[in-house]
Parts: sequence; structure tokens; C-alpha cells
Amino acid sequence: MKKRDRVKVDSERSSISLGLKELVDYKDLFLILAYRDFRVRYAQTYLGFVWAFMQPAITLLIFIVVFGVAAKVDTKDVPYPVFAIVGMSAWSYFSFVMMQSGNSVINAQSMIKKIYFPRLVIPLAKSLVGLVDFFIVFLMMIIVLIYYQQPISGNIYYFPFFVFMNIVSALAVGIWLSALTVRYRDFQHIIPFATQFGLYATPIAYPSDAIVGSLDPFVLIIYYLNPMAGIVEGYRLSILGLGEINFYSYISYGVVIMLFISGMIYFKKVERTMADIV
Amino acid sequence: MTGTAIKVEGLSKKYYLGYNAVTISERIKSLFPSEKKNKRDEFWALKDVSFEIKEGEAVGIIGRNGAGKSTLLKLLSRITLPTTGRFELNGRVSSLLEVGTGFHPELSGQENIYLNGTILGMTRKEVKSKFDEIVEFAGVEKFLSTPVKHYSSGMTVRLAFSVAAHLEPEILIVDEVLAVGDAEFQKKCLGKMDDVSKSDGKTVIFVSHDMTAIENLCNRAILLNKGSVIVHGDVHTTIRSYLSQVSRKSKVISLNDDQSDNKDFLFKSICFREIGHNDLLEFLSSGLDIEIKINYLSKIRDSPELIVSIGFFTQNGTFLFACRTDTINRKLSIKENGELICMIPNFPLRNGVYYFNIIAYSKGEVLDHIQTAGEITVEGGDFYGTGKTPAGNRPGILVQYDWAAH
Repeated sequence: MKKRDRVKVDSERSSISLGLKELVDYKDLFLILAYRDFRVRYAQTYLGFVWAFMQPAITLLIFIVVFGVAAKVDTKDVPYPVFAIVGMSAWSYFSFVMMQSGNSVINAQSMIKKIYFPRLVIPLAKSLVGLVDFFIVFLMMIIVLIYYQQPISGNIYYFPFFVFMNIVSALAVGIWLSALTVRYRDFQHIIPFATQFGLYATPIAYPSDAIVGSLDPFVLIIYYLNPMAGIVEGYRLSILGLGEINFYSYISYGVVIMLFISGMIYFKKVERTMADIV
Repeated sequence: MTGTAIKVEGLSKKYYLGYNAVTISERIKSLFPSEKKNKRDEFWALKDVSFEIKEGEAVGIIGRNGAGKSTLLKLLSRITLPTTGRFELNGRVSSLLEVGTGFHPELSGQENIYLNGTILGMTRKEVKSKFDEIVEFAGVEKFLSTPVKHYSSGMTVRLAFSVAAHLEPEILIVDEVLAVGDAEFQKKCLGKMDDVSKSDGKTVIFVSHDMTAIENLCNRAILLNKGSVIVHGDVHTTIRSYLSQVSRKSKVISLNDDQSDNKDFLFKSICFREIGHNDLLEFLSSGLDIEIKINYLSKIRDSPELIVSIGFFTQNGTFLFACRTDTINRKLSIKENGELICMIPNFPLRNGVYYFNIIAYSKGEVLDHIQTAGEITVEGGDFYGTGKTPAGNRPGILVQYDWAAH
């Protein structure tokens, strides 16, 4: 005989668990929601999937013109396009998840008001869809690396770790923002602006040594509270052997972990009243 | 031996009226206790509800608009959490508060079956094993790869319902989802639900205003009023007490106890008068020139698309006639708080007891709908102006006619 399902709900006992086991039970829902988002994303567009290449390609072009040609940023012996696309490959995934998950719960409100499921599935599905974008920029990066015949650094073994951190940091920010936007619609306006700001506040288009050398420690700590600062550096270190992991980078990694844990807790808290306030 | 499927103890749900801190500045304002969040802004949608449902029972939940039926379903479906109290569900639960939750118009029929089935709690494997059955039940074989946005609304509903009908829960929670779709398909669905509850011995909770459906489907019922359980018992007894509640002898029938809803349009009360007289009527008589006065609250002004309709039914639910504004091209201009008058000269119902419903639409959307809004007694009267009451004692419609012989 199969195990009986049993549900107990008690207003006086709030659960302390994050419901991770339940998330596993709902993995099919998570996968199909991600599939849905992926399928409808370019539905009825003329260029279709080409759009996924266009955005990073154009951003890269602007960087090359502004930072590489006009401002002549010092990237040691690495050609500027190689330098920039490695940073962008980390950033593009992060910014996609950040932009998409903010509104994700609000966009799913008709579902939330009609059926029970662990709400965390919604922002998680967005982060899965984002992997497609990540893969595309990653491909572009490989093409650029081959074109410039850039030798791969011996630190490449660290790369999977930084990819992992990249995903965790995107999830952390995505979970936080999806829960915050439900409570405060203000974030619908903050997120696009913050994404734009983050593109320049992260050492993507320029090397971080330019900053580390010229700012005083207090400002630097603030700079490295950016969860992506350390990760972008990690990408460059592991692929190009450029730069180093300094003391400040560890602050950035610490922020990622803290954001992730606190985000899960905050989301759980908002989840309790989500159907009533969304 | 049957165990307990659902056990509810002291369940309550409180909402705050108009309290929705959605922007940071509003949140900061609400920190200062000078305004807002007074005690009177609280609204108990459900108050101290307790009951127990045994395995294999089919229980109907009935009550007027705003009685707490939907809140109870939302709590049992775990969509929202109770303010106080607890409940326990023993068995796999499926709740259907809507058909086609999560349907995406850009996706094909096949993709939507998987999407919707998974949202309703099936695994991919379960959907796969039921896939052919679902498609056949819905009758959409030819359109499986067509995006759902090109489906007719009837097809969409059939597909959605078909997915829902193939869930295999031990406890099924159903809101009035049967109110959609064509009559034939509704019957098919009711039949399917009946199979679930009777032959498979599963537990069903069913909310509906349709007393016939409740009576056919359920063996027990719970009557809610203003958030509390009034009666919990045999289905016939409970329906009878509901109907007597509806037909409370009062000249002005109030229609909405509902305060929680932020509806754009709300019917408040209804009463009957003879044209040209001010006295309210407790009962009507055939052939009387009557007017029906309806009070409403509205947040919309001058909606040219507003359609109001009042319909009359026999006690066992047979539709008799309806007075719709659009049928006679009548445009109503509305204000915040006013009354609508429907005039029926020579009232055409025979002596008997009738129910009426009332509904307002705008742009194809239901603004307010009150099924079984009230009961009205009609006494036989001089409909034909012949000085006598038509013979016979059955309820029904009277029509003008004549005879001739040539």
C-alpha cells in the first residue's frame, strides 16, 4: 500500500523548515514552468532566437567602442574584447535573473490565488531559463577566445566554482527581489535602474585594479558589497589568469552566501501571506 | 471502517479592509498609529469554524454571497493560511478553484495539458499515462499542436476541465467551476465527479449555488452564514434551511453581506412595488403591473456597456424568463449609489413560489452575480382581465393568447 499523504495546517505553529523536501516533490512543475517561459519568450517575434544573441553582442560592441577604443582601459596583454566578454558572461546571467524574477511572482498571481504549490518554484524557474542566456554568451565568449587565440589560464579548474557562485548569487538576488516586489511594488521601478547601475558598478568593462588602487578602503568595502564584483573577478582569474582574489573579493563572496540564506528566509515569510497581498 | 478525511477545528480568517501596504511610503505612513488599521477595519471572513468529514463523503458547502465559502476553500486548499485554528487533511488533495489555471495561450494544446496537469499536482509521468484519455474526453484530438489562443472558448474549457477530471485525488475540493462550458459538457463533468465520489469512495467538497447539482452530487452539506457554520447535516435538511434563509419574510431583500470584496459594482437590496404605489409588496399576484427596485453601489460611472438582468426560476431550478437591459436596447446610466427599476406590466407568473437571480455584466465580464437572490410568492390574479383567476395550481408562465374558429 502506498503511503498516505497527510497535510496539517495550524495557525499557532509556524514551520521552521524551508520546505526543501517539498520543492523536490514539485520538481516537475519547476521544469515545466521554465519550459513555458522559454517557449513563449520569443513567440511571434520576427527574429526569434536571434534576440538572445543581439543583446549581449550590442553591449559588447558599446564596451569595445567606449572603454576599449575611446577610454583605452589598460587590460595588460589581453585584447579588450576578450577582457570584456569574459566579464559579461558572468554578468548576463545575473542580470537576466535579476530582471525576470522581480515581477515573476506578480505575473503568476492568477496561479497563486487559485492553487497551492511552493511559491519558490516561480523565481527558481526563472533562474533555470536564464541558463539559456548564459549558455549563449558563453558560446560567444568561446568564439572570441578562439578568434584572438587567447591562451587559457592554468587556473581554469576554479572556473566551475565561480559558475556555481554566479548561479547562487543570481538566485539570492532573484529570490529577494521576487519577495520584495510582492510587498513593495516600488521594486518594479528600482530593478531596471539597479541592473543598469550594476553593469557599471561591477568590474565588467574595466579591471578592478583600477579601482583598488585609487579608492580608500571604506569606499572599496562598499564597492565589494556588490555580490557580482568578486565573481566577475573570479571568471577573469580562472579563464584569463588576470588579476587576483584580494581580501575585498572575499567580502563579495560572503555577501552572496548571506543574501542567499536571508533571501530564502525572507521569501518563506512573505510566502505565508502571498495569496492575500499579491 | 471509514476514517476521518478532513478535520477542521476553530478555523478563522481575518482580513483588513482596504489595508494593502503596497508602496514603501504607505508602509511608513501606516507605522504611525494615528490613522488606518482601526479595529473596525477588521473583517472576519470565517469565524471559528469546526467540522469533520469522513472518508468517502461528498459534502456540499452552501451559503449566500459573502458567507465565507470561498475563504473556506482557499484555506483548505492551502492557498492562504488561517488566522487562528487548525485543520488536517488525510489523503492526496486536489483543489479546483478554477479550470485551466496556468493555461498559456501561446502554448499548444498538448503543452498546456502537461503544464496544467503539473500545476494541479500531477507528475509528468502521471500526465503522460493519462494523456490519451484526457484528449479523448475533451475531444480536441485534431488541435493538439495548435496554440490554445486559436481555440474557441468552449474548447479551452473542455480541455481544461478534462485535465482536472483526470486527477486522482483522495480528497477533491471543487469550487463552482461547473458554471462554465456548455450544458452538455457540464453534465459530462457532473457525471465524472459523481463517479469519483460514489464509486471510488473518495471525499469531495463541492461549493455551488446550484442546489440541484448539490443535491445530486452530495450526501451531506454545510450551510455557512457570515463566516460561521449554521447547519451541518444531511443534504436535504441543509438545503431546506438555506432556502428558508433566502426566503426570510422581509419586504426588502438584502443581497450582499459581502464587505471584503473590493468589487466595482455591488447589488445591495431588492424590493417589489406596484407601479404607481409606494407600498412595498410581500408577494405578487398574476397580472399586477409591478416594478422591481434594485439598490446598488458602484465605483464605475456611466458604463455604456452595463447590462443588468433579473431572471425568474421555479423552485426546482427551471428557468422561466429574464428581463435583460440589452434585449430591449435599454442603456442605464449609473452613479455611485442609486437604484435601478425594472418594470413588468401584467406580471406573467402563475400562482406559486419562484426564485429570482440578478446579474450585472460590463464588457462581457460579470460585475456582480447573485444566484438565488431571493424567493417571491405569486398569488393567482386576473392576468387576462377577465375578472377571474386562471385555473390550475401549477407554477408556470402565463401568455396572452386568443382563439378563433373559422
